[in-house]
Amino acid sequence: MAVYKRGYQRYRGPVTGHWTRVLALPRFAWERLFQQRLMIVLLAVSCLWPLLCAVFIYISNHAELWSGLDGGFSKMLAIDGRFFLVFMDVQSAFCILLAALAGPGLIAPDLANNALPLYFSRPLTRVDYVLARMTTLVGMLSLVTWVPGLALFGMQVGMAPAGWFANNWHLGGGLAAGFLLWIFIVSMVALASSAYVKWRLIAGALILGFFFLLAGAAAMVNGVFRVEWGNILNPAKAAHSVWCGLLGVEIPVGMDLWSSAAALALIVVLLALVLERKLRPVEVIS
Amino acid sequence: MAAPVIELNNLRVKLGRREILLGISCRLGVSGSGKAIGLLGPNGAGKSTLIQTLLGFHKPMAGSARVLGFDCHHNQRAVRERIGYMPESDSFIASMTAVSFLRLMAELSGLPRETALEKAHETLFHVGLGEARYRTIGTYSLGMKQMAKLAQAIVHGPELVILDEPTNGLDPAARQRMLKLVREMKEQHGMNVVLCSHLLRDVEEVCDEVVIMKDGNVVHHADLEAERRSNKRFVELEVSGDDANLINALQDTGADGVSEGGGRWRIVLPANFDVAGLWKLLAAENLNVRKLTHRRDTLEEIFLKAVGHIQRTPGEAAAAAEEVGVNGRL
Repeated sequence: MAVYKRGYQRYRGPVTGHWTRVLALPRFAWERLFQQRLMIVLLAVSCLWPLLCAVFIYISNHAELWSGLDGGFSKMLAIDGRFFLVFMDVQSAFCILLAALAGPGLIAPDLANNALPLYFSRPLTRVDYVLARMTTLVGMLSLVTWVPGLALFGMQVGMAPAGWFANNWHLGGGLAAGFLLWIFIVSMVALASSAYVKWRLIAGALILGFFFLLAGAAAMVNGVFRVEWGNILNPAKAAHSVWCGLLGVEIPVGMDLWSSAAALALIVVLLALVLERKLRPVEVIS
Repeated sequence: MAAPVIELNNLRVKLGRREILLGISCRLGVSGSGKAIGLLGPNGAGKSTLIQTLLGFHKPMAGSARVLGFDCHHNQRAVRERIGYMPESDSFIASMTAVSFLRLMAELSGLPRETALEKAHETLFHVGLGEARYRTIGTYSLGMKQMAKLAQAIVHGPELVILDEPTNGLDPAARQRMLKLVREMKEQHGMNVVLCSHLLRDVEEVCDEVVIMKDGNVVHHADLEAERRSNKRFVELEVSGDDANLINALQDTGADGVSEGGGRWRIVLPANFDVAGLWKLLAAENLNVRKLTHRRDTLEEIFLKAVGHIQRTPGEAAAAAEEVGVNGRL
């Protein structure tokens, strides 16, 4: 029978599980995100560098293609931790751009439209809500980070001589862990910015500003005090140090693995506090 | 025995440094009975805080609040699974179409994907937004937005629907439609309804029970249904002709009456004697009836008394006069 003829009846059937309900939010968000042309274009552009890296891996594993060239060139073509570090550096920048485009649409509209009471009057906690919103970003950013990263790693394992995997297996784990850490930080920045300002455009600018301003502040500290440790204020540099540690590459001068990790942890805690304060079903004025 | 819809035990809620609810205790409604509870009170009485506490938005400082037998703080999920909430202020996602919005809300409430879509369409037709269901909610008029808010509150078929000022900003026709839908929710679909409104007529038209709050306390709790029943026995009468024998005739039927002079009477009918009998009695006494009304206290009068604006309601005043009459003149 047609719906309009049937009339309203109360639903009394079985209900879905908790996580099915929570995951409805990212599903709807992805549906809306992938309707944006700019998002599709940016995602496509983000895949260019992994494609170039794949070509690079192919060339480096086919000695006959560069057999006429000198030894220095063969050293440059080595697939090692440094190669994956460069790959991560480039993709992490795309991560920020994608988060700046997608992040503001996640929480800011809910705040602007006062939709939080509707979510929280349903069996959904604030933690569930944040996890659902974060899943939206994690899912999307994974497409340009650890997924192509592990594909490249797998490609290299498949093409390289037998001993390569035995000597470099940690690169796969380091790459995935490093990217997941970065996605988490970028997602937290995007969510906190989206929760802090209700206007999408300003929230997007805030996400970009967060990374650029902190990078500027770090450079200023280094310049004024003639030190190197100011870099830990720059989340991108701090994350780079952690990636170096994970991939077994030498950490840049003036940076330390643990102080970088601590700086990132502090940033995450501060962002979590912003979310805790802003995401409330009702505002209480004391 | 069925659990009460709402059970408050010395509930105290503090927001910031201010204590808003000052130890409320009451039991309202019976779950599954399909009755409506009206929540009334002047601004700042604590109505919204009470609703938000029931939804688990605020943690009680002391005491407890239970909804349909579940503690609002410790069993939040169980409570929220059974509730539909229509907030007072605009709450929706303006850029979504009504059907997507309702589908999302239904899925968040636990409906499977296909059922959620089906229910979204069904509910939008039910509230009169069927033709506009593919429009984004941001383009809706105020009345349509109110209906969309109602739709999201009932799309999952909750046991209890909490409506916060549902008729706000509606024109008379839309208001009637909203009240009709609320009546249908309780009468046809067996949902319990909590209606929070400052419009006493809305509450009077729809609710079976009413709670009046003032300064964080419950100052009056009335069963409107029982009151309506009892008030049917109380009659105000105005006749012309010689009514000297009327008091004896009334006493013969078991009725009590008191003359106010000038042919005006206040009469309390016995249980086995109805208004038709009174008409016959008046005809037998050769009296012409100029006015006959079932006078009962309006909710406005009950409200004004509860918040301290009047000493007693007209009904109470009449009963007092009746008592004086019985003890004095009769």
